[in-house]
Amino acid sequence: MAEIPSRRALFFGMLQVALSSFGGGLSAWSQRIVVEQHRWMTDEEFITGLTVARLFPGPNQINMAVYIGARFHGLAGALLALAGILLLPFSLLLLLGLAYFYLNMRMAVDRVLAGVVAAAAGMALSMGFKILDEYWRDAVALGFALAVFLALAVAHLRLIPVVLVAGPLAMAWYWPRGAAAGEP
Amino acid sequence: MSAICHPAQLSDLGNLVAVIGDFLSLSLFSLGGGNTLLAEYHYLSVDKYCWLTNSQFADLYALAEAAPGPSSMIVGLLGMGAAWREGPSWALLSGVAAELAILLPSTLLMVLAALSWNRFQHSPWRIAFERGMGPITLGILFAVGLKILETADRGPAAYGVSVLVCVLMLRTRISPLWFMAVAGVLGGVGWINR
Repeated sequence: MAEIPSRRALFFGMLQVALSSFGGGLSAWSQRIVVEQHRWMTDEEFITGLTVARLFPGPNQINMAVYIGARFHGLAGALLALAGILLLPFSLLLLLGLAYFYLNMRMAVDRVLAGVVAAAAGMALSMGFKILDEYWRDAVALGFALAVFLALAVAHLRLIPVVLVAGPLAMAWYWPRGAAAGEP
Repeated sequence: MSAICHPAQLSDLGNLVAVIGDFLSLSLFSLGGGNTLLAEYHYLSVDKYCWLTNSQFADLYALAEAAPGPSSMIVGLLGMGAAWREGPSWALLSGVAAELAILLPSTLLMVLAALSWNRFQHSPWRIAFERGMGPITLGILFAVGLKILETADRGPAAYGVSVLVCVLMLRTRISPLWFMAVAGVLGGVGWINR
């Protein structure tokens, strides 16, 4: 690792990531700027960070910013990185929200949104299929997934109790056994 | 939908406290990267507190997906909707408070994780958590996808667009912004109704 960024540099670095990714691809831009341009982290360190960011609760890209900030400047660094990555897109989104609530009743906007909403619903639907492949050969995993799906979508139970029951059961099943800790 | 929904009788400040409390308690349950909480957000804003109608919720979801930045920022919009009847300044305050509330617990946990990763990396707890939460996330994502579909779509044209976009998301690397732009035009000319 070449250098430790100052707090100021960290904030502006994350601001730059947010600005660059306005067309999409936040995590690719984050790597380009943090690893390739500023050389704050090696590729390997960055990938470790992504692993941690995906493992823990919270939005992946935001967790990644928190990880980068925390590695260099602890809690203060994490909050600065968070502010840097969110400031512009969140302000813009709040402006869009204001516009939406003011214009809500106008027909033209409503008709366009009917289309956009249908496309966005398709994106939501694709999320589960995207990770289905990883579990396709594990019958127990599919069983857990099906039970959670039925509890939420059919029995209309709330997420928190479902996770609090299914989580420990799944963790017990997948607890690594023995020193070799192979597949159960 | 809104006919059977009775808004909770809360003062302006009480409403803000409810917003903060509910999002704080959901934060640590946002498994698998963020979108897993969408059905809970729908329950809070449409069913529990009647902040929004069904189609307003769908609109805000689409807005958050289409706008630059992480789509999990929808929480800011929901917070805004929660206080819209109290006027724009309360709405902005509530939007910012909701976003901070959903991010604070997961951020603090993430800071701890970043600082203690080396010790934690080979712990059996981590391995069991990582392997165990995957299938649960899978189940949640399908439930969320179905919920958003029910919330968003009315009529065969809308369902057709959703299924087509879903297939294209899985089979191609086209940016989702294109899907939303094309579908927006189709909606604008009146092909997709609700």
